[in-house]
Amino acid sequence: MTRQAGPRATEPDASEPDATAWRDWDTPRDSWLRTDDARPGWKRSVLLEVVARVLFPTVLALSLYLLFAGHHDTGGGFTGGLVAGLAFVLRYVAGGPAELSAVVRIRPPVVVGIGLTIAAAVAIAPLAFGTEPLTAAVAEPVVPVLGKLKLATSLLLDIGVYLLVVGVVLDLLRTLGAGIEHQRARDRAEEEG
Amino acid sequence: MYTVNVTMAVLLAGLYTIGFYLLMQRSLMRVVLGIMVLGHAANLFLQTAGGPPGDPAMVAAGVREGMADPLPQAMALTAVVITFALTTFLLAMAYRSWVLLGHDEVQDDIYDRRIRELPRRDSGPDSFVAPRESAPQESLR
Amino acid sequence: MLLAIAVHLVLAAVLLPLARRLGRWVFVIAALSPAVTLGWVLTRAGPVLSGEAWSESIGWAPRIGLEGALRLDALGLLMTVLVTGIGALVLVYYAYYVKPGEGGVGSTAALLSVFSGAMLGLVVADDVFTLYIFWELTTLCSFLLVGGNGSRAEARRASVQALLVTVLGGLALLLGFVLLADAAGTYRVSEIVANPPSGPSVNVALILLLVGAFTKSAQVPFHPWLPGAMVAPAPVSAYLHAAAMVKAGIYLLARFAPAFGDVPAWWVPAVLIGGWSMIFAGYRALLATDLKELLAYGTVSQLGMLTVLVAVGERTAALAGGAMLLAHGLFKSALFLAAGVLDRQTGSRDIRELSGLGRRMPVLASGCVLAVASMAGLPPLLGFVGKEAAFEAFAPGSVVDVLILAGLVIGSMITVAYGIRFLWGAFGTKRGQPATEVRAPPAGLLLPAMIPALAGAVFGAATPLTAALVEPTARGLPAGGEPYHVALWHGFGLPVVASVLAITGGFAVFRAQPLVRRLGGRLPGALHAQHGYQRVVTGLDDLAHRVTGRVQVGSLPGYLSVILLSVVLVSGAGLASGVPLPDDWRWWDNPLQVPLALFVLVAAGSVISARRRFTAVLLTGVVGYGIGALFVVDGAPDLALAQFLVESLVLVVFVFVLRRFPAHFTHGGPVRALRWRNAAIASGAGAFVAVASVLYSAARRHAPVASREYAARAEPEAGATNVVEAILVDFRALDTVGEIAVLAIAATGAASLILAAQREPRQPEPEVETTSGAEPPAEASAPSASENEVAEEEAAEQEGVSP
Repeated sequence: MTRQAGPRATEPDASEPDATAWRDWDTPRDSWLRTDDARPGWKRSVLLEVVARVLFPTVLALSLYLLFAGHHDTGGGFTGGLVAGLAFVLRYVAGGPAELSAVVRIRPPVVVGIGLTIAAAVAIAPLAFGTEPLTAAVAEPVVPVLGKLKLATSLLLDIGVYLLVVGVVLDLLRTLGAGIEHQRARDRAEEEG
Repeated sequence: MYTVNVTMAVLLAGLYTIGFYLLMQRSLMRVVLGIMVLGHAANLFLQTAGGPPGDPAMVAAGVREGMADPLPQAMALTAVVITFALTTFLLAMAYRSWVLLGHDEVQDDIYDRRIRELPRRDSGPDSFVAPRESAPQESLR
Repeated sequence: MLLAIAVHLVLAAVLLPLARRLGRWVFVIAALSPAVTLGWVLTRAGPVLSGEAWSESIGWAPRIGLEGALRLDALGLLMTVLVTGIGALVLVYYAYYVKPGEGGVGSTAALLSVFSGAMLGLVVADDVFTLYIFWELTTLCSFLLVGGNGSRAEARRASVQALLVTVLGGLALLLGFVLLADAAGTYRVSEIVANPPSGPSVNVALILLLVGAFTKSAQVPFHPWLPGAMVAPAPVSAYLHAAAMVKAGIYLLARFAPAFGDVPAWWVPAVLIGGWSMIFAGYRALLATDLKELLAYGTVSQLGMLTVLVAVGERTAALAGGAMLLAHGLFKSALFLAAGVLDRQTGSRDIRELSGLGRRMPVLASGCVLAVASMAGLPPLLGFVGKEAAFEAFAPGSVVDVLILAGLVIGSMITVAYGIRFLWGAFGTKRGQPATEVRAPPAGLLLPAMIPALAGAVFGAATPLTAALVEPTARGLPAGGEPYHVALWHGFGLPVVASVLAITGGFAVFRAQPLVRRLGGRLPGALHAQHGYQRVVTGLDDLAHRVTGRVQVGSLPGYLSVILLSVVLVSGAGLASGVPLPDDWRWWDNPLQVPLALFVLVAAGSVISARRRFTAVLLTGVVGYGIGALFVVDGAPDLALAQFLVESLVLVVFVFVLRRFPAHFTHGGPVRALRWRNAAIASGAGAFVAVASVLYSAARRHAPVASREYAARAEPEAGATNVVEAILVDFRALDTVGEIAVLAIAATGAASLILAAQREPRQPEPEVETTSGAEPPAEASAPSASENEVAEEEAAEQEGVSP
């Protein structure tokens, strides 16, 4: 554990009640890179780790953009989901399973299930309104800052697809990545021990 | 109307040939690579069937002539994703085959091969002994 | 009628569970449906016999003219009376025939019920397909009934032979029906008969129909299955192989004869084969030593005569045919049932073993005498009436008539001879043989055996009854001269002379049996038809064995080669035969396509020669990226983006899996000769695809409408200006939903394959001295790796703490 403890004040400062807090306000509370814990089965590269950490939010933002821009520009649920998945892949390649587990709190099959459920719901919901399945509706609400938006219910299907693709990639990382690694570690431990 | 141009035709021929050749190999990894190459070739075929190269299919400025055909593109996209799913599954199978058997070769089917040596029983229907009855106990390998 | 058939089938289903409780009395219950049907049909007899047929039909696909049509007319009525009457009797007989406690009664009763329902359907079917379906249903029932429970090899063999021969005939029948219906323009039998078509295809159809009838009615050369089917119990033989199933062929001939009786392709083969069967099978009956075998050959012979009578399509002959149909059904079933009684009571049905039974079982013997007398054509029995009509029908008018008459007379002589042989063999007292031990049979066995014989006598004596039943079947047929009426006595004429000649000649033949046998010994062996069947079946098996052994060698590359070759050859042949050549071919559409294509080809070519796994994988990834670039050039940005992303992801997945494998490919590759073969086949297939792509794209005349419509509708209906996206999530959203389902399934499958590989039963871990203890195989979830590390550290710390 690399908990960077800041320089501790030896005497309690009663006169400055907030001195400690003011001095230590920029001390990192949690580790920025988890790679010390992880010890992946391959050589580490500092450049890769730092870049991965920096790029990760940006790539996720790009994937969201692709998801929403799909109707009018290149993009769509698939490409958005794949880009998001690749972001997680980058993180995994940089830091190993521990790095990934720090970010991903939901189990991947659950994400897959949610995506599939959304897609199925979008498919079946129009039946409740008396039309055929998978009929889309277009709405044009006026939002204060952005102006007139054009939204279609097929965007929900896109979101379902996005979630599913992300879940699939995470699942692959879990099994083909961490799973195989764990097996190799165990086999090596068996040979030695 | 629109004929596939020679370059594309040659490319398709080459990719399909290589894909089929890889498919007929012994190593499962090579077979998976063959399936991937075939998948690429098929997607290219699908897309090329759509017509000559054109502008992207965006109708923000209205439907224009010279726009590329959107339907094969959509189908090819579906095909790309499904080929990806298939490849992943096959790789998992190759891995498992490696873990269990120690190799990743596609084995011959012994029982099929033994049909040629089926003993004869007698004349009339059922003149050959069914393979089940004639096969001695054999190990998997 | 539909209700009657349905009742039969439903009753069959009900009988199976009932059998457990009722035992052999299920047969009596099964006999109810034929009996009730008989009663119902007789109430309808009046109008049907006077000319108005009773029709029912179920519309199945009316737009293409397919409907299940049923029609009860005079011929159908005659057959129904025979089928249901004998059916009821046989089922009651069966209840007494089975030994108490014998298994399988439920299934036998059910099968017999199904069979009688199917037979009923066959004779009232008015639609060619309905007829065919019931025809094959009877074949199936016969197969199952003859085979029994499949425990005896000879029963299996006989049932398979019956099945193969009759199904072959059934297929020929179907083909003939289709050709005939095509030529006539309608599927209704009654309409085909009313307006018969003609032409070369009709002649072929008629020959096929004849083949179907001959296989079903066991005519030469298809006859061996009938004597072979005698391994079935006697009641089954009496019902199926005497009264009902084998009559189906005769019924078919009688049904179509009014329309085609004068077509040479119809009556010439029928007369030739029927006549020859009559004489030949009769001769074989003289050689038989098993009672049932004798009766079987006798049936073949009688059916031959019926074929001749019914197929010529002339009124008197048809009357004779109808009368003989009824007579044969009655006397043959009586004889079969009697043979069953003998078999059950004495334990044998071999002529050489039975002796002195005439005195011990007088009732049975007298019944058999009546039946045989009808078979021989003695007055005043029904057989005599029929034979008189038969001889009258072929009263000499032309050479053909004389020949047929001569054949009929000879056949009748032999019939008389083997009839007497049956009586002597079953009931006679043989010199030098002790009397056979026999128990008295129960009344339940005797009555059903006697009733048909008595009925034959009744029908013969009360000719108005017979005439009322039989004459309407011949309505509408051409009659030479004045119309003939069925009666006992027509005055001294050729028919009477012929009958007397037949009867006396028959006696003489019976007396001179050894001479006859020696005479016939020079004929080609009677088993030749059976040998022919065996040789055909063995040959087929051999051929199948050889072809399979050569083609199915068990190696995947081999199978792939076969598949590819077939695709190339078959489709290539089709392609080469008339697709127009393109006239507007270009080298490229966009200059960038050439370097990109070259790049992709070089990369793909290198994949083959790559020795290391990683190199091959990377090169395949390069191929994917190149294809993506081509998509960009083509103007498909969405597709290109997806291709690049998927390719990267696939590379990542490959790398993950490759960590486990050795660096080089272990298997070098196939043998050199095989390598060339694979390369040749692959290049052939590749070239085929390229040529097909060029030719097919050249053959397209118009731009596809669907794409234009989608582009036009994207904005208003889907609210999207990216048409590809609109297609994916709106117009063809179902495909997308399916596609993501496939993704989910593949991921789940891969997960279970990988994770299950961990839970293999391993050797029990040896007790390790370290404090961390044996690591149990754990779930491969990401946090657990770090957990183990943490656990080890803590254990190490504790170790450090406690010395």
